Amino acid sequence: MHQDSVLHNLSLTMVLAPLLGAIVAGFFGKVIGKTWTHRVTILLLMVSFACAIYIAKLLILDGMPSYNGVIYTWADVGKYQFNVGFLIDRLTAVMGITVTFVSLLVHIYSIGYMAEDDGYQRFFSYISLFTFMMLMLITANNLLQLYFGWEGVGLVSYLLIGFWFHRETANFGSLKAFIANRVGDMGFLLGIAAIMTYFGTIDYSTIFADAGNFTQTTITVLPGVHWNLITVVCLLLFIGAMGKSAQMPLHVWLPESMEGPTPISALIHAATMVTAGVFMVARMSPLFELSQVALTTVLIIGAVGALFTGILGVIQSDIKRVVAYSTLSQLGYMMVGLGASAFSAGIFHLMTHASFKALLFLSAGSVIIGMHHDQDMRNMGNIRKYMPITYVAFLVGALSLSAIPPFAGFYSKDAIIDAVHLSTIPGAHFAYICVVLGAFVTALYSFRAFFMTFHTKERMSEGLRKNLKESPWVVWVPLVILVVPSIILGAMIAGPMLYDPHSILGNSVYTAPQYDVLKIMAGHWHGAWSAVAESIYTPAFWMSIAGVAVAWLSYIVFPRLPNFVTRRFSWVYYILDRKYGFDDFNQIIFARGTVGLGKALFKYADLKLIDDYMVNGSGRGIEWFSRTLRKTQSGYLYDYAFAMILGLLVFLLWLLLG
Amino acid sequence: MDLLVEQIIFFAFAGMTVLAGAVVVAVRNPVHSVLALVVAFVASAGLWLLLEAEFLALVLIFVYVGAVMTLFLFVVMMLNIRELPSREGFVRFLPLALFALAAIVAMMVFVIGPQHFGLAQYAIPAHHGADYSNIRELGLVLYTHDVYPFELAAVLLLIAIIAAISLSFRGRRVGTRSQVPSAQIAVKSADRIRIIKMASEPKVKR
Amino acid sequence: MTFTIPNFIPAIPEIFMLVMICVILMTDLFLGKRIKSIAYSLTQLTLIGAFLLTMHQYGMPKVYTFDHMYVLDKLAILSKLAILLVSFFVFLYSREYIGMTKLPRGEYHILGLFAVLGMMVLVSASNFLTLYLGLEVLSLPLYAMVALKRDSGVASEAAMKYFVMGALASGMLLYGLSMLYGVSHSLDFTAVAKVVSETSPAHSLILIFGLVFIIAGIAFKMGAAPFHMWVPDVYDGSPTSVTLFISSAPKIAALIMAYRLLVESAPGLIIQWQHVLMVIAVLSIVLGNVVAIAQSNIKRMLAYSSIAHMGYMLLGIIAGTKAGYASSLFYVFTYSMMSMGAFAMLLMMSKSGFEAENIEDLQGLNSRNPWYALMMLLIMFSMAGIPPAVGFFAKLGVLEAVINANMTWLAIVALIFAIVGAYYYLRVVKVMYFDDPKDATAVTAPMDMRIAITINGLAVIALGLFPSALIGLCRNVFFG
Repeated sequence: MHQDSVLHNLSLTMVLAPLLGAIVAGFFGKVIGKTWTHRVTILLLMVSFACAIYIAKLLILDGMPSYNGVIYTWADVGKYQFNVGFLIDRLTAVMGITVTFVSLLVHIYSIGYMAEDDGYQRFFSYISLFTFMMLMLITANNLLQLYFGWEGVGLVSYLLIGFWFHRETANFGSLKAFIANRVGDMGFLLGIAAIMTYFGTIDYSTIFADAGNFTQTTITVLPGVHWNLITVVCLLLFIGAMGKSAQMPLHVWLPESMEGPTPISALIHAATMVTAGVFMVARMSPLFELSQVALTTVLIIGAVGALFTGILGVIQSDIKRVVAYSTLSQLGYMMVGLGASAFSAGIFHLMTHASFKALLFLSAGSVIIGMHHDQDMRNMGNIRKYMPITYVAFLVGALSLSAIPPFAGFYSKDAIIDAVHLSTIPGAHFAYICVVLGAFVTALYSFRAFFMTFHTKERMSEGLRKNLKESPWVVWVPLVILVVPSIILGAMIAGPMLYDPHSILGNSVYTAPQYDVLKIMAGHWHGAWSAVAESIYTPAFWMSIAGVAVAWLSYIVFPRLPNFVTRRFSWVYYILDRKYGFDDFNQIIFARGTVGLGKALFKYADLKLIDDYMVNGSGRGIEWFSRTLRKTQSGYLYDYAFAMILGLLVFLLWLLLG
Repeated sequence: MDLLVEQIIFFAFAGMTVLAGAVVVAVRNPVHSVLALVVAFVASAGLWLLLEAEFLALVLIFVYVGAVMTLFLFVVMMLNIRELPSREGFVRFLPLALFALAAIVAMMVFVIGPQHFGLAQYAIPAHHGADYSNIRELGLVLYTHDVYPFELAAVLLLIAIIAAISLSFRGRRVGTRSQVPSAQIAVKSADRIRIIKMASEPKVKR
Repeated sequence: MTFTIPNFIPAIPEIFMLVMICVILMTDLFLGKRIKSIAYSLTQLTLIGAFLLTMHQYGMPKVYTFDHMYVLDKLAILSKLAILLVSFFVFLYSREYIGMTKLPRGEYHILGLFAVLGMMVLVSASNFLTLYLGLEVLSLPLYAMVALKRDSGVASEAAMKYFVMGALASGMLLYGLSMLYGVSHSLDFTAVAKVVSETSPAHSLILIFGLVFIIAGIAFKMGAAPFHMWVPDVYDGSPTSVTLFISSAPKIAALIMAYRLLVESAPGLIIQWQHVLMVIAVLSIVLGNVVAIAQSNIKRMLAYSSIAHMGYMLLGIIAGTKAGYASSLFYVFTYSMMSMGAFAMLLMMSKSGFEAENIEDLQGLNSRNPWYALMMLLIMFSMAGIPPAVGFFAKLGVLEAVINANMTWLAIVALIFAIVGAYYYLRVVKVMYFDDPKDATAVTAPMDMRIAITINGLAVIALGLFPSALIGLCRNVFFG
């Protein structure tokens, strides 16, 4: 009881502190001024971060049992209970640290990045609110609260993408994010509804406990078509995850979201919100493990995304877009990990990714500050000379992202690739090929961006070059802090996270015995350093090295090579430039198609059917009806009385004779 | 009393009530209308007598016929309305209204007829003896068992008074002559008669 | 003959009300000219006093008095509390308007209090006779209040319609009750219920016959289709403060009346009244929501919206379960709160010589007074049933009740038309936020009204965020 109340209070503090910050910044921001706004929000976020760390200590190091409790019963409607409740287990603890850590750094970083902006207080209010929503999402003990957090982070995300609402592209990007997410949310909501209908509850613990009883249940989707209930539920939930975690083909919104301020890209569109889908699938692991179809789907979609969105990153010239496509690709990796039932590996990659991707984004942001908000890499070059700290930070991020041992990304990505290799789930072979090729692509685009930005000749204007200098300390301090986990996080916790019999996530994720690939891998695990030594025997390692090498060759040694390739394979370039046609497809089929359908309907249905037949045919009938109706509403008393008596008469006739 | 005789009396009075009610609505001249209403009240008083509610029957005649209807007549005559304008909707809806009326009456007859509501289902109430006093029975329950509804009915009357006054009383207009009770009470004998001392007619001095 | 003095204690709130009404009547007569606000102050004091007295009774076991004619049960206590609370707000909102439009203060408040007394009697009735008298004590002052604006032809016309139609509905109700009395030889709910349940189906024809008339009377009082004709005209024609009153507390009383008559005294006819109410509910929901769209007068729009809401409220009764009744009770409590807020906003927009009654009059309210616009937005969202406002839970509750009663089609119809209905509520929001005001002067109101509308608007959202307490109270009435 005592332990429970400790966890209860800690998690409540962790969740509510950012909300308090958001309220203070949002409502009293103008009163207390810029300085106090960021002081208050950052202080409260520190409190939240401290709570997250302490929770993790209690759960993971001290082995305290997880806490599942209702904070408040929102509504008790018949047999359903809608609660606000916390499920604080190891998965939550790990996510809590990740979220609050990155959020804290982004808060600090924003002091410098947003210094000149008019919406300073509004910005801090939004990011604190976002943190609150994200924490609600990960601490939820039921689907409704998960959904609340889910929509909450989405809402703040649109607000922040459109933060600079005077930019046309910003509005378009925010709209696109909104629509793509609606598609995903529709699936998610249907999934929740299906669970509510069949399980009769939305409480995680009850759902997971009952899941075994429903393995043979089928539901009739169309007459004669019977589908397995668990599969349908998992696929619907996964559609939700596809929207939020930007999986193909719902990924189109994420590159557009780069219109928002860079700290937002780091926090929301790299480290936290977009991983909500990954978190949700991991949270729902007891359900997903019961459906091989669902696992295969997760695996294939993830793998396709990992490879093909990565390729798009190679041709981007906007530094933020490169990182954005890399995020898409890495999210694909996480999904692959989940699909291969290596849930710990997926979450592990989520954590390492959060640190090195935030690092990359914030470094990119630092460059963008220096470049006075010019994001085009073709105008950069040799920035290493002017921004040494940013240079080192970006290099570490790129190395980690490219999975070069012993950086953090290596351990997590290597684990995923291994897991897929060992997995027996249908589609694993295809996925394996994708992720191994993906390793090459990842290294290629990361180092392409790295070389183009920090090496080669200065291509910026002379005036800009003169003023180019390292960003202020509030900007580079978070970079330095983020460098640390980007290097050591992998080596430090790879063992306990993935291979220990009592791993960090413990029983907060569930793996069916027949899919448990991590158990096999644990047999080959001999510690972090031997993993580095063994890596030279893996194809993925050589793929990464090759990627770095190709980037070095084509941008440093033979700078004309890219141009040559582009001209020689212009059709490939065209396909990539059109982003495989997803945007065009959406534009043509959904946007223009809807308009076309509307026109066709108007021409044939409206003019022919309604005008000719309905209006001229039964139109007279309707007209008569409306005239009669108007007469009864005449305002004359006797009409009203008569209507009453007629109503009475009809009821009498019906009940007595009917 | 013989059941047959009782039935004849009932149908006579009941028929009269319905007929008079129809006349109230149908005739154009309001004075005739009020007079028909008087007939309807008297006939229903007869029905109540049949139910051994002598007191209520008499009160109905005293109060409604004697007081309320007289008041109606005064009002109608003072307003000096000869004939109401014809009601256009009346004729237009007549066929449909007649149909509805027929249907409802048919259903009433069907439902309240002897097969559902007859003596077979519900026993005939026993007659009271000659020593039965309607007034006494009413008096016994009015302030005991039924005190709550009785008081509520009183409240209803109070509301009616207040509503009627607030809707019709428009404050004192200038120039209307009205009693001033306080002044009437405060009056002293000196105010009522003024004695004027007059010198008696002097003798004419001749 | 033996007679024991009845127990007066349960009826203390009603007795207090009546005594105070007489006191106010006298005080206003002699002091009304000198102290203008005396009738208002004493009225509010009376309502507070009655509220406290009723509050004191809360939790008392069910008790009958006055020879089983008066019942004090949880339902009666809770609905009396709601009625008194709502009436308190109603008079508070009306104060300014009454002064502005020169309605007779004393009479207005006295009649209003009488109506409140009628509602209290009605919800505490356990006998056809007291129920009917309560209904008349409620209705008669309302007829008069509609007509209080004597120089307005529209108001007189509305009052006349209301009165004649009300008399007709009363007649129907009485006729139906007399049928039940004829069969059962009793006016007492429990006794009638016993006879009704024991009557064989072959002989129940006469009961059904009476039932239809009773339902007609109930539906009229609620303002549900096809007995709704008076609603738009009366809402539109009355002084806005009277519309505010009619649209709030009496709805609660009407629901309790339906519950007492149908559930308490005719449970044996549940199949029949379910069927009739189903038709009434669907007609009301469809007609109310569809016709409201076409209205440009906001009072008429809200009138049709109230018809639709009454349809939704009936769904809970139709379900025929305790949970259903509780959801109906919750619905009517929240509805009267929302309706009150919406009309109060119109009152605040009205100035002397200008009545806010068209939707256009709300144009650009956001720029004239953003806080009021926000409150109106909350109320409109709630009426449309958009979460997290309380209206969402009200609709959810009744829909769940009918689904659990295996009447899913009813829920689907209700849901579709709820979406249709959302259109015209959102149009009001659109007009307030996106249109430019024609009259750009700021909207102001006295302090007490501002506080009241704030409480009102925030309650709509607060009850939506924390609905359990009120839902619990409503369920406790039927389950406890």
